[in-house]
Amino acid sequence: MTHGPSAAPTAGLGLKPQHYAEALACGADGLWFEVHPENYMAEGGPRLAWLDAIRADHPLSLHGVGLSLAADEAPDEAHLSALRRLVDRYQPFVVSEHLAWSTRRGAYAPDLLPFPRTRPALARVADNIGRMQDALGRTVLIENPSLYMPLKGHDLSETEFLAELVRATGCGLLVDVNNVAVSAHNLGYSAHAYLDALPAAAIGEIHLAGHARDERLGEALLIDTHGAPVAEPVWALFERLVDRIGPRPTLIERDDNIPAFAELLAERDRAHAMLRAPVHA
Amino acid sequence: MLDLTRFQDAFAAALAGKDDALIPWWDDAEAGAAGLSVYRNTVAKGCADALVANFPSVAQVTGEAWLAAAAVRFAADHPPARASLLDYGQGFPDWLAQFPPAADMPFLQGLAALDLAWTAAHLAADASSLDAAAFERLDGEAFAATVADLHPSARIAAFDDGLARLWSSLRSAETAPEALELDDAASAVLILRPGLEIEIHHLSPGGFAFLDACRQGQPLAQAAGLALAAEPGLALAPLFATLIAAGAFVRLRPSSD
Repeated sequence: MTHGPSAAPTAGLGLKPQHYAEALACGADGLWFEVHPENYMAEGGPRLAWLDAIRADHPLSLHGVGLSLAADEAPDEAHLSALRRLVDRYQPFVVSEHLAWSTRRGAYAPDLLPFPRTRPALARVADNIGRMQDALGRTVLIENPSLYMPLKGHDLSETEFLAELVRATGCGLLVDVNNVAVSAHNLGYSAHAYLDALPAAAIGEIHLAGHARDERLGEALLIDTHGAPVAEPVWALFERLVDRIGPRPTLIERDDNIPAFAELLAERDRAHAMLRAPVHA
Repeated sequence: MLDLTRFQDAFAAALAGKDDALIPWWDDAEAGAAGLSVYRNTVAKGCADALVANFPSVAQVTGEAWLAAAAVRFAADHPPARASLLDYGQGFPDWLAQFPPAADMPFLQGLAALDLAWTAAHLAADASSLDAAAFERLDGEAFAATVADLHPSARIAAFDDGLARLWSSLRSAETAPEALELDDAASAVLILRPGLEIEIHHLSPGGFAFLDACRQGQPLAQAAGLALAAEPGLALAPLFATLIAAGAFVRLRPSSD
């Protein structure tokens, strides 16, 4: 299955509540928005009303952070039902989740946690993605996480693991270029080689975000903070990736230290222009 | 064979403070510990950020740094039960009441409970309120046999002291927190979101008793009786008119329903 051409390859912005009014009024070419569905799992109220209004004028992507697809248990049914209601209401052009776990045995840790990429883990994650896709009645994109901890016991590299998931479930990939840069730096591998190994046809979306040095360890450990502008090396990786695979819907993510809407829009416009530039490959 | 369940149980134990739980999965313990500390910080910050966001009146009184530190302690024992953190902290008011560093701030429990009620109103289902015309046909007999259902967003709370007044001043930012005082006179509020904006209405003892009875599904006549018992001499008609105008009711139904 090809995930590239199904959505407009323009650039979007993560939508923050403090920017609702400006987002609603913004007429930038090709602008789309992305939200975490977990922030809209409400019965009613102003959040849903704002999203209704913004969705009326802009494409929307739902980017989940809490389904815990890599947990050694099935996804929470109530969470899946709530997600399904949002998908039905907002008709997003993309639904995505992470190659990570966060909820187990009824407790949620608000993070995207790592695991040893074993063959049995591959079967478990593929089964969980299948449950998600069945519940939503559509395919989803799976995002590569930021990694901070070298682990023993992997049977597959992350790119092999993701490619196997694509093969087994028909899912697509959301490539977070900042996460690639952070993980490659922290665990000591090549970001170029990683990006080159991803199956191009499966890539349906790209994320760009900022990172920071660890407060204690400095440059040795990079943290995916979503709290700063996209770093220049990440822009370079993005350009190289788009040269290879062609344009894809690309998101500027900012979740902390949130600046003025205009500042985020300027970053988004830079990504948008790069997607519109002639492809060299 | 190191399976996924064993790894994830070990990871959860490591997050909770058992530093060596992940050693079987580490070649380089120093790098492993550094990574663990990133995950620990992210999890703690995620919980603390959610609690600071969900308890703004507490944050105004204690300062955000104090609340964030308390929140990390709370989250360690009471992790979120689901991945949406919009209403995380249901047990936080009671926990604050027995948190030793909060011993000299006994009013925090009530402020936190009211913040929770605000959030519940914020996230509640939308509904159209009944207008005055809907109540015009109610004669004395119908009054005794009809229940008025409250708007799904309606939350009420009453206190022996002025805590509800203190809270609404904090939420409306009418006064700087350091200038606020907790007085001794009883207070009660109705928190209501008839449209998209939350409105806070101060209630007299009778007004609170009336809504409390409606909330429990008592017929209007019985609610009126309870209101008068709580506040002898209460003028019922103006109270009822005020609540209708506020949008407090969404449905009239026979009490046998």
